[in-house]
Amino acid sequence: MKKSIPFEVFRYAMIALALVVALIPIAWMASMAFKPVGEWSATGADLTWWPKHPTLFNFNFIFGQSDTSLIVALEKTAAKPILASLLSSIFGTLIAISAGTAAAYGLSRFGAGKNLPLALIQLRIFPPMAVMIPVMIMWAFLRLNDTWFGLALVYGIVTLPFAFWLMKTFFDDMPREIEEAALVEGCSRWRVFTRITLPMMRAPLASAALFVFIMNWSDYLIALLLTSREWVTIPVYMASLSSSMTGQLYGAKAALGLIAAIPPLVLGIAIQKHLVRGLTFGALKQ
Amino acid sequence: MSGASLQPDSAKQAASLGFKLTLPAQLLVLFIAVFPTLMQIYISLTDWSPLSGANWWMAYGFWNNFANYFDLLQDGRFWGALRRTGLVMLVCVPAEFLLGLALATLFVDEFRGKKIFYSILLMPMMVVPAVAGYMFYMLFQSTGPINHILSTLTGSTVSIAWLSDTTYAMIAVMIADIWQWTPLMFLILLAGLAGVPEDQIKAATLLGASARQRFITIVIPRMKTIMIIALSIRLIENFKIFDTLYIMTGGGPGTATETISVYFYKVTTQDLIWGYVAALALFILVVLSVVAVYAMKRLALAIEVAA
Repeated sequence: MKKSIPFEVFRYAMIALALVVALIPIAWMASMAFKPVGEWSATGADLTWWPKHPTLFNFNFIFGQSDTSLIVALEKTAAKPILASLLSSIFGTLIAISAGTAAAYGLSRFGAGKNLPLALIQLRIFPPMAVMIPVMIMWAFLRLNDTWFGLALVYGIVTLPFAFWLMKTFFDDMPREIEEAALVEGCSRWRVFTRITLPMMRAPLASAALFVFIMNWSDYLIALLLTSREWVTIPVYMASLSSSMTGQLYGAKAALGLIAAIPPLVLGIAIQKHLVRGLTFGALKQ
Repeated sequence: MSGASLQPDSAKQAASLGFKLTLPAQLLVLFIAVFPTLMQIYISLTDWSPLSGANWWMAYGFWNNFANYFDLLQDGRFWGALRRTGLVMLVCVPAEFLLGLALATLFVDEFRGKKIFYSILLMPMMVVPAVAGYMFYMLFQSTGPINHILSTLTGSTVSIAWLSDTTYAMIAVMIADIWQWTPLMFLILLAGLAGVPEDQIKAATLLGASARQRFITIVIPRMKTIMIIALSIRLIENFKIFDTLYIMTGGGPGTATETISVYFYKVTTQDLIWGYVAALALFILVVLSVVAVYAMKRLALAIEVAA
C-alpha cells in the first residue's frame, strides 16, 4: 500500500493515544510504589505522576521494616506469599507440562486419547467457580487445603488444556523423518520420544512452560478459595493489605503489585511469537 | 496422524505406549471433572452445608426434594447476576473487538517503531488481573487520577464517586476489562490480517475498489474464522469475569456489579449454603454445555478451515 503523509500522521497519533491509555494504569501503580506515605492519597494539586520524594520505603515495609509514619505493623511479610506463588505456579506448570506433553505426543503420534482435545477445551470453558465446591470438599478431606502443593495440583489441572493444545500443535508441525529413521535403526518408541523428540522440542517446550507459568501466576480466585493463612499467594495477600487505622496501604500494595506484575511482563515478551498459538488453542499460528 | 505406516508387530507397542502417555492427563481430567461432578449432583439435592456437622457423604440426611432447583428459579439475585454478566459481555466483548480490529489495521504494514509499539500495546493483557484490578481501584478513587485528568481536560472540578455509584461502578469495571483485553483481540486479529493475501488487495485497489469496499469484500470473508475464534474466546472468558471486578468493587455497591462468579463466590464463602451453590453450579454447567457443544462444533469446523 502506498504511504500518504496524512495517513502516517493519523496512524502515529492513534498509536500514541493507544500507548498512553495502555500505560497510564501501569505508570500510576509504578509511581505509587515509590511514593512515601505522605503522598499515598495526595489530592488536587498535590497529586503528581512522579513521586516528589521517591523512596524504597514501600518495598522495605512489605518485607517487614516498620516505620513511625505508619502506626501499623504487618502481621505477615510478603516473603511467604511470594514463595507460595512461586512454588504453586512452578509445580503447577510442571504437572501441566508433563501430563500435557505426554498426552499430546500420544495423540499426535499414536492416535491415543481422542477424547482429550474436546474434554480439555470443555474444562477450559467452565468457570472455575462452578466446580469449586466439590474441589474444596475433596481438598479438605485430603488435607490439601491451604498448602502450596494442593494449589499446584489444581493449577496443573486448570492449565493442562493450554499445555496439551500447545504441545499438540508443536508435535503436529514437527517433521517425522528423524523419528522414523531412529525407529528403523532399532530404537524403541519410548527411547525415540525421550532421547530424540523431546531434546528437539526444547524451545517449544520452554515456550509452553512459560505460557502456562504466566497463567498460573495470574490466578487469584482459586488461591482465594483454597488458601487461607499459611500459603496465601501474592494477589490474595495483596488484597488483605489494609488496616482499620490507616485504611488502604496504597504504596505498599503498589510495591507488591509491581513485584507481581513484572514476571509475566518480562516472560510475555520472551514468548511473544507463541502467544497467539497458545491463546487460541493452536487454532492460529503466527 | 500416521504412526500407522510402520510394521504391524510394532502397532501394538505403539498403541500401548500411546495409552500410557495419555493416562496421566486422562486421570487428571477424571479427578477434576467426573468425580467432582457426581459429588456435585449428590450434594445439590440436599441442604447440606459445611456447617451441618456431618461429612459430605452423609448429605442424604439433608435430602430436600429438589428444593434447591425450585429455589434457583425464583432467586432474584442469581438472575440479576446473570443479567449483569450478560450486560458486561454485550458491552465489553464488542468494544474490545472493534478497538482491537482498528488497532490491528494500523499495524498491518511496516512502519518505524512497529515492533516496540506492538510489544507495549500487549502489556495490559500480561498484567496479573488482580493487580490490574488494584490499578483501576486506585485510578477510580474520587480524588484519584482519573477525576484529576477529567478536571484538567474540562477545566472544572470533576469528582465522580466512580466505585460507590451504581452506574459509574459498572462503567468503571467495564473500562478495566476493555483496557486489559483489547490487546488480546488486537493480537489475534493482527495475526489474522497478516494472513490476508496482499496481491488480492493490490488487485482490488487497481480495479478501483475503495478501502471500505476492499475491507468488506476481501478482508472480512478471509478473516471470518479468525474473528469467530477471537470472539468465542473472549465471550467464554468474559463470562467468568471475577478478579479485576472483585478487587475494584467486591460486586458492590450493593449488588450493582455482582456478576455470576462474584455471586457464586459470595454464597460459597459467606452464606455457606453449599447444597444450593452446587445446584446453581450444575444449572450453569448444563446451560454452558449446551452452548459449548454447539459453539465447539462451529469452532472445530472453523479450526479445520483455518488449518
